[in-house]
Amino acid sequence: MTQVTESTISFPYKRSLGPVIGAFLTGLAQQRILGIRCGERVLCPPLEWDPETGVDLVPEDLVEVGPAGTVTSWNWVSAPTEQHPLHHPFAFALIRLDGADTTLVHVVDAESIDAMATGMRVAPRWKEGRTGHITDISAFVPGEQSVAAAGAGPEEPVTMMDYNASITYRTPITENTERAERATEDGWFLGLRCPICGRTYTGGKGYCPIDTIELKVTDEVELPQTGVVTNYTIITPIQYPGQTETDPFARVHVLLDGFDVVMGYQVLIEVPNDEVRIGLRVSAVWASEGEKGAVSGWTDSNLVGWIPTGEPDVDDPTLVNRIN
Amino acid sequence: MMAHQPCAIVGIGQTHHKSRRWDVSLGGLVREAASRALEDAHMDWVDIDAVVLGKAPDLFEGIMKPELYLTDALGAAGKPMFRVHTAGSVGGATGIVASHLIESGRHPRVLALGYQKQSEGNAQFALGSGKGASLGAGGAFAPYMRSYIYRSGAPADVGPMVAVKDRQNALKNPYAHLRLADISVESVKASPMMWDPVRYLESCPSSDGACAVVFTDEAGGRDAAKAGRAPAWVIGSAVRSEPSQFPGRDPVRPVAALDCATDVYAQAGITNPREQVDCAELYVPFSWYEPMWLEAHHIAAQHEGWKMVESGQTALGGSFPVNMSGGVLSSNPIGASGLLRFAEAAMQVRSTAGEHQVDGASVAVAQAYGASAQYFAMWVVANRLDPFGE
Amino acid sequence: MAIRNQDDIAIIGWDVSPMERHTAKTETQMLLEVVTGAVGDAGITRAEVDFTCAGSCDYVAGQAFSFVQNTDAIGAWPPKRDSHVEMDGAWALYEAWVRLLLGDIDVAVAMGSGRSSTADPALIYPMEMDPFYLAPLGADHVSLAALQARALLDRGLVTERQMAEIAVRTRRDALGNPYAQIRGEFDIDDLLGADYVTAPLRRHDLPPITDGACAIVIARGDRARQLSENPIWITGFAHVSELHYPGMRDLCTSHATRTAAKAAGLDESPVQVAELQASFTHEEPLLVQALGLGPDAAVNPSGGPLAANPIMATGLIRVIEAARAIREGRARRSVGHASSGPCLQQNLVCVLEGNE
Repeated sequence: MTQVTESTISFPYKRSLGPVIGAFLTGLAQQRILGIRCGERVLCPPLEWDPETGVDLVPEDLVEVGPAGTVTSWNWVSAPTEQHPLHHPFAFALIRLDGADTTLVHVVDAESIDAMATGMRVAPRWKEGRTGHITDISAFVPGEQSVAAAGAGPEEPVTMMDYNASITYRTPITENTERAERATEDGWFLGLRCPICGRTYTGGKGYCPIDTIELKVTDEVELPQTGVVTNYTIITPIQYPGQTETDPFARVHVLLDGFDVVMGYQVLIEVPNDEVRIGLRVSAVWASEGEKGAVSGWTDSNLVGWIPTGEPDVDDPTLVNRIN
Repeated sequence: MMAHQPCAIVGIGQTHHKSRRWDVSLGGLVREAASRALEDAHMDWVDIDAVVLGKAPDLFEGIMKPELYLTDALGAAGKPMFRVHTAGSVGGATGIVASHLIESGRHPRVLALGYQKQSEGNAQFALGSGKGASLGAGGAFAPYMRSYIYRSGAPADVGPMVAVKDRQNALKNPYAHLRLADISVESVKASPMMWDPVRYLESCPSSDGACAVVFTDEAGGRDAAKAGRAPAWVIGSAVRSEPSQFPGRDPVRPVAALDCATDVYAQAGITNPREQVDCAELYVPFSWYEPMWLEAHHIAAQHEGWKMVESGQTALGGSFPVNMSGGVLSSNPIGASGLLRFAEAAMQVRSTAGEHQVDGASVAVAQAYGASAQYFAMWVVANRLDPFGE
Repeated sequence: MAIRNQDDIAIIGWDVSPMERHTAKTETQMLLEVVTGAVGDAGITRAEVDFTCAGSCDYVAGQAFSFVQNTDAIGAWPPKRDSHVEMDGAWALYEAWVRLLLGDIDVAVAMGSGRSSTADPALIYPMEMDPFYLAPLGADHVSLAALQARALLDRGLVTERQMAEIAVRTRRDALGNPYAQIRGEFDIDDLLGADYVTAPLRRHDLPPITDGACAIVIARGDRARQLSENPIWITGFAHVSELHYPGMRDLCTSHATRTAAKAAGLDESPVQVAELQASFTHEEPLLVQALGLGPDAAVNPSGGPLAANPIMATGLIRVIEAARAIREGRARRSVGHASSGPCLQQNLVCVLEGNE
């Protein structure tokens, strides 16, 4: 059965609104719905441009519309997702607010699908704790009557909007990758050697990009666990949401002994940052039984890092060029 | 040496690049650049036949396939809208794809636009997005620069000199992001080490910004010239990609970089770029990339690029100015940065670069690269077609 | 047959990956295989390819710069002229076609790939919508498509039964297509008896979630004639976008498709086969009408996206299937259509003709 790795992309985006969208969302915070004049028409929701010609539209042309409107199309979401604004079945609808010539996409909180019909009238139900967001209207409800909410909304005009969507990806691990990971769990490096050009790849890369062929189990080789540092960098971590590192740390490139393979951005252990150097002979260090699973670094493997062997440095001015 | 139709650049616009353009929405940002380009071209939205949009990963802003949302923002409703994405070289690729629409005769007037609104997310998050994120672009590329310094024997000051030159040039560019009036080699060398051997002041900012270019066919170019608005002509363009990693790959002097330059010079009729090209805008996000690209694009001999820097040849007043605009080191809205290089080169040969103009510039080269120095886009622009004949 | 312009571009080969609900392969592996298959089908090697262009999407892949690994499938050593679009492979083909029109190179490969299985599309698609007004509502593609379906139903332009008939027909036609994922004989009343997923759409009205990839080889003029006995000529190729916000569009007609079809010269003579990126059943009559297809045109004989929907490759596969119809003698002239964005916002039309 194929193993799967899970990763989640999630980030708190902050969007600046500009003058038109800012005014619209500020209006929502104040329980007002605005449209914008565009030639003979009123667009709601307002855009900063005429969608047909691209010409600028300006905040001075904002006008109040609604609050009630007519549904021109609708659906019925039987199983809402976590991103939907309501968590029980609801309708998305196109709503032509009174005074607007275009329709607003929003949700209608109706008892059931049977309450929905093209041509029905709806009005906004406002949310408490409005921030200047499209969901300040928590939903439209059937009828002519808005449902006001308590609270005045933010005092200052709204200029920014938060957005966070979290998507989890479950990606199958290829057989090559699995075999390479199992090798590191057992304390050795699995390489795959291209039968045509002889280049050897690590980390379960299952093909040769030069000859564009898949590399198979028959192409497997065991790689040496000693080598020499060819290049390095010392990184001072930049702080951002999700950053886990704090102190400067080294990453080295290691050319494996007797093999044309460079392992890049490897962890170097028991070497102070100011002693990291090209030509340093190193050997791989694997996590002991007790440590397995608690390793951090560039790859999720049982390789803790590389440690100096104590042998004399290699003196070769061309080593530094071995980045790959 | 062109089999295809000529392509003219008649309008260029860009935003004021800043770390945060929170005064505008995303639509507002791109429209600022596009409106300026249209104004420069004496055109209106309705005059454009097709739009080509380029930007780097959508994870920067958290908007997938933004060409959909930006279609009508850029006046493209009812028209073809296209979205290119080739990592850091994307801005260059965007300009090239747009120029091809003209050169192939598909459309007579095309708008190209590159942008990035990095302040809405975080560049490090998007560049790394998960595992290995701690490394950052600087961390990933620091070994390349170390290798260059060692193999060329360049003195350690060369990187800081590039950093100073570009930021001093930026002071003459009203759109540039970084405005470091007091920068010096000493202050660069005193700045924190970020990704040894690269220091903070040797690396690019993260910017919100956009750049737009209006292309026309030959008739449009000639009309602009007659109206006193000299166009820039695209006299060569090329792209090359190579795989990111295989044993023996050299990301410091990549074959794709060498081949791309050879191709573009051949198209332009250039046999001696150092002499025949007046100036260059090259994608230099970390200081040491300037001598690296001078060499990899045949402007300097191997191991000698740093000498052009050290002797002041690449300064604005030098014999081969590089990054007169301040370059990526001064403004880096990643999706736009490549197009900014291409646009700034065109500004030079149109003589519209204002305070950072190279006097008499008539042929300029622009380059953008991406990812692990594996994607390259280059073009050569001139103030006339066929400056070097066959 | 009309004398060809010597520089016309023709399709000379292609390959399509298995269409699976969950592939165990990486996107790069899928591409490696289809590029090998496509150049083999064209009778060339990668070394003879002058330009490559790939279509894929970071948010489908779940990673920034996801296309970088895919460069490994191209054989870019020595380095190649190469590009990438964050769009369906059909637009990568468009870029490759324009590139060959410049006349200095002869052979190009375009690709499309995507593994939609790795995440829930309903959570991904809102991210391509208006970031202020739609994405924060979680407005996904199925919900918006359902609004368009409702509009068509209300206008009497389609019925739920007709939608179900399209579902039945396409999955039945897919029985003849080894590259389809959902195939079989379905009973229309059984289908109509099922609950709505997002009314008025039922499960059968929706495309499957598919992992897949494809590659296509095109060549210019004499090189095409040299390499293929039956080059399939691209005689028209255009794409057009509508404005984005669905609430401001006329959802009962596809203006962009009509404009693109006209620009591509579709109406110059009849087509026998039309492969359309009608991902929802109600989109088919809408597109048929916008393209001006006659009753003799077979629509989606491959099964179309309702039978296999590898996002970022689906559109290019339509062009491939339209080409296949000509190669197999089922059509003299065919059309491939691709689409992107909510409610058919962007539309691409590619018109193909065989040799006489």
